[in-house]
Amino acid sequence: MLEMRNLSKIYRTTTVETHALRDFSLSVREGEFVAVTGPSGSGKTTFLTIAGLLEDFTSGEYVLDGVNVHGMNDDQRSRLRNEKIGFVFQAFNLIPDLNVLDNVEVPLHYRRGIHGAERRRRAIDALERVGLSARMRHYPAELSGGQQQRVAIARALAGSPRLLLADEPTGNLDTAMARGVMELIEQIHREGATIIMVTHDPELAARSERNVHIVDGMATGIVEEPRFRSTLQERTASDMPLAGR
Amino acid sequence: MFAYYLQLALRALRRSPLLTALMVLALAVGIGASMTMLTVLHVLSGDPLPGRSAHLYYPQVDPRASGDAAADPRPPSLLTYIDAMNLMREGRTTRAAVMYAGSEVLRPIGPGRSPQSVNSRYTSGSFFSMFAVPFRYGAPWSGSDDAGGAHVAVISRALNQSLFGGVDSVGRSIVYGGHSFRIVGVLAHWRPIPRFYDLDSSRFGDVEKVFIPFNTARALDFSVAGSTNCYGKPGSSLDTSNCGYIQMWVQLDTARAAVAYRRFLVNYSEQQYAAGRFSRKPNVRLDDLMRWLAVNHAVPDDVRMQAWLALGFLLVCVVNTVGLMLAKFLRRSGEIGVRRALGASRHAVFAQLLTEAGMIGAAGALIGLTLTMLGLWLVRQQPSGYAQLARMQPSMLVATLAVAIGASLLAGILPAWRACLVAPAMQIKAQ
Amino acid sequence: MISLRPILSSLRRHKIAALLIILETALAFAIVSNALYMVVGRLERVRMPSGIDERSLVMLRLDTSDRSQGTVASGLADVAALRAIPGVESATVANSMPLSGMQWGLSFSTRPMDSIGSGVGAPLYLGGGHLLRTLGVHVLAGSEFAPSAYADFRRKGFMDQLMTVHQALITKALAERLWPHGRAVGKEMYMGKTRVQVVGVVSNIIRPYVSADAHDPANYFAAIYPRRLGPDLGAFYVLRCKPADRSRILEAARAKLQALHPTETVGLHETFTRMRRHYFANDRSMAWLLVGTMLALLGVTAVGIVGLASFWVQQRTRQIGVRRALGACRADIRRYFQAENFLLATTGILIGCAAAIVINVWLMAHYSVPRLPVIYLPVGALLLVGIGQIAVLGPAIRAARVPPIRAMRAA
Repeated sequence: MLEMRNLSKIYRTTTVETHALRDFSLSVREGEFVAVTGPSGSGKTTFLTIAGLLEDFTSGEYVLDGVNVHGMNDDQRSRLRNEKIGFVFQAFNLIPDLNVLDNVEVPLHYRRGIHGAERRRRAIDALERVGLSARMRHYPAELSGGQQQRVAIARALAGSPRLLLADEPTGNLDTAMARGVMELIEQIHREGATIIMVTHDPELAARSERNVHIVDGMATGIVEEPRFRSTLQERTASDMPLAGR
Repeated sequence: MFAYYLQLALRALRRSPLLTALMVLALAVGIGASMTMLTVLHVLSGDPLPGRSAHLYYPQVDPRASGDAAADPRPPSLLTYIDAMNLMREGRTTRAAVMYAGSEVLRPIGPGRSPQSVNSRYTSGSFFSMFAVPFRYGAPWSGSDDAGGAHVAVISRALNQSLFGGVDSVGRSIVYGGHSFRIVGVLAHWRPIPRFYDLDSSRFGDVEKVFIPFNTARALDFSVAGSTNCYGKPGSSLDTSNCGYIQMWVQLDTARAAVAYRRFLVNYSEQQYAAGRFSRKPNVRLDDLMRWLAVNHAVPDDVRMQAWLALGFLLVCVVNTVGLMLAKFLRRSGEIGVRRALGASRHAVFAQLLTEAGMIGAAGALIGLTLTMLGLWLVRQQPSGYAQLARMQPSMLVATLAVAIGASLLAGILPAWRACLVAPAMQIKAQ
Repeated sequence: MISLRPILSSLRRHKIAALLIILETALAFAIVSNALYMVVGRLERVRMPSGIDERSLVMLRLDTSDRSQGTVASGLADVAALRAIPGVESATVANSMPLSGMQWGLSFSTRPMDSIGSGVGAPLYLGGGHLLRTLGVHVLAGSEFAPSAYADFRRKGFMDQLMTVHQALITKALAERLWPHGRAVGKEMYMGKTRVQVVGVVSNIIRPYVSADAHDPANYFAAIYPRRLGPDLGAFYVLRCKPADRSRILEAARAKLQALHPTETVGLHETFTRMRRHYFANDRSMAWLLVGTMLALLGVTAVGIVGLASFWVQQRTRQIGVRRALGACRADIRRYFQAENFLLATTGILIGCAAAIVINVWLMAHYSVPRLPVIYLPVGALLLVGIGQIAVLGPAIRAARVPPIRAMRAA
């Protein structure tokens, strides 16, 4: 599903070279739920931006769902991002000018071949999955943080991506809301989604199947958590997209 | 406090120099264009005889045939010889003058010069006193000169300069239209704007070079250089035909005199109608000077349209400035939020932003003033008759500055109000 | 790809700025479409055909103080002398010239009228037997005057003399005005009660004065009477020659006239082309002024759009990053801002249409401005949409350059 080999990312300014990732390798299988942890500045955000095709890397190899990402131009990466990846941000990043339904439709607007009614139907489906179809006409500012993050998850799901990338999805939420959002993510995973979640919270990381710890831009102790192994194995053979029925 | 606002405003303007420059420039262009055209309008639409114009009237009667239904309902602007003479003889006025424009050749004085055709006015001696025309030398001709058709002339300062080198030429002679005239007076500088007494010819041109008694010109059959409009059955000569070619001005010092004179015009028309000379019921007008200018569009329509266009342009510039200021002020929401959190009142923020708007206005005013000067220079290069008159005047200079700063403050109110609604707490949280 | 509803809903949240752009576009559109029309009107005037061989004509005028030198006989002698100048193809003395501002106006009707002022107003051209050939005017129907029809026109009592003329040539435009449904040749028209027979119809000649509307057929009304006249009464000596010879012949003719009349002055001497340019100088300068104002207006509008669009881009940087992260490619972002501007411009133009018509109606009521043809609305609309798109291109490209990673960072 996701294959990173000897990736490195170097930020250069005129005076300093910063190795945000060095010789980083990671392999994520279909249907896996991986938590990426590490202290701040360790490179976990860099990992996420590269995994999410938001940024290019300096050297190494990255194959996403069978597509070698290296050397792709901006438009190709945008399309790949749109089709294969769903993002959940720490700050929700809903567009304040648009209502909930329009927000969820945003990624579908950038997908070729999906027209009005189909777009609407898929957005409503996604909202139903997160339990917010009743709030379609509300604006983000009228929702609680937890609800906003659910909308963001619906937005990520609406495009039926192959991989869900979550960046501290509960970082801006209080405990009660965080629990709700986390349960939603776990439920989505149980339904077959491949999820990579970046967090600095060990308690959250513990709820994943596998924990990748990054220190100084390198993956260290990879902790396998066998909790959901059985579910995973049932699904490996199939190539079912996340938002399948 | 205001000094502090000024300092803040300067700093803010320097922070986004491009946006600031665009705002100032857009405002200045609007100011420049509109003030150029408004200055031209102001120059051209002034009162040519302040203090006197209210007592000067232009009488009109209607000698046209009755048949023409499609014709202008207003009586013709030019009087026939018969009507002019009758009105001069019978009307009760403080002063009255008849006149028409002519152009004949002036014989040169001294060798090596060629004859020149000069614009002239054939009028009554009261022309000069009624219009308070200033004399450099001599005086107008007398009433007996008028009556007797004397060969006397008043010449303009410019002609006196070119013929006699500017010395007192009273008593010397000129040969005009083949006849000799004795100079009785030389005008001082006189240039009414517009040349109100005859709107038929060059409205913003210089006054004529030669003035000769009306009766003298008729006796010598000096031809008409303006329009001649004929109606009804023609007679054997211009003065017995029903042909209008004469302007007439009367001075009526009181409202009662004006009412009486208008009644006189009606009575006169009735008499003429009864006698069969007029074929229309009395149709008279007695416009005072400023009204006469308005009715005849003395200010060219082009100039008025340009002024409207320029005002529309200024309006667009002001809307534009509102938009740019809104962008500029809201961009600083963060800073404003901090100020609010640090205890600046909404009122203080508003005052600070308005100060900034005012500074943009002041800069726009200065550049706009320069552009106005440039615009007026451009107008002076134009071929129109009024072009030479387009010059900056002190009142318009003050108006330009006031309009620019006023417009920018006006443009600043909405954006400043919108920006000072920024809540202090929200911005702190986002920082 | 671009759907307008989310743009609309986003604009609803930025009402003031959106309204300002709409208002500015509306005002600019209303002013520009009217100004454009006025420019075209002026240029149409400047380009009006005169109906004569403009590039072959030069004119001179003698300022006569000695009346013995202004007689018809004197004029005929002068013309004979001028014709002798090598290169002069034809010459005559004419009372008036097209676009000269010197006009003798008469009124004609198809039935007798009480007043000589009633009927269709037309300028009168007098100029002897060589007038048509000199000007390059053609007889379209009927014939020229018989040589015996010509008589002298003297200075004294000219109203009376006009009453004694009973034959005329008229221009095609006047013929069509007087007899819209039939042949004019042989018909009779009346100046007051004076009967005048139309012996021929000639090609159109423009008036000495033309009206504000270039399409007014009255601009080509004219009558020609079979009369010769002398150089007084402000008449022109008109000479026809090859265009290349004009300046030489003008100088030679001036010298010759001066030699023939040593005590008089040759007042005016210029080519018809120059006189025409002078006649329309005001229109040309008004057209330039309008064009200049229009350009400045469009420039200011563009500045306003650039300013507000840049502000919006800056304000939405985070949002753009999010859209990019969600899979929008650069072109999508650019098109979003272009579509947004298109929407605002179109709204502004629709409102501006109403304003443009109101302005036009007002101008029609107060000034001699004709009704705005509908075609100017789409032209003005195209102009403003174009300006909007050009203005928004910079900010839109800047928006498209926002990297997707901006979604990750704090605003």
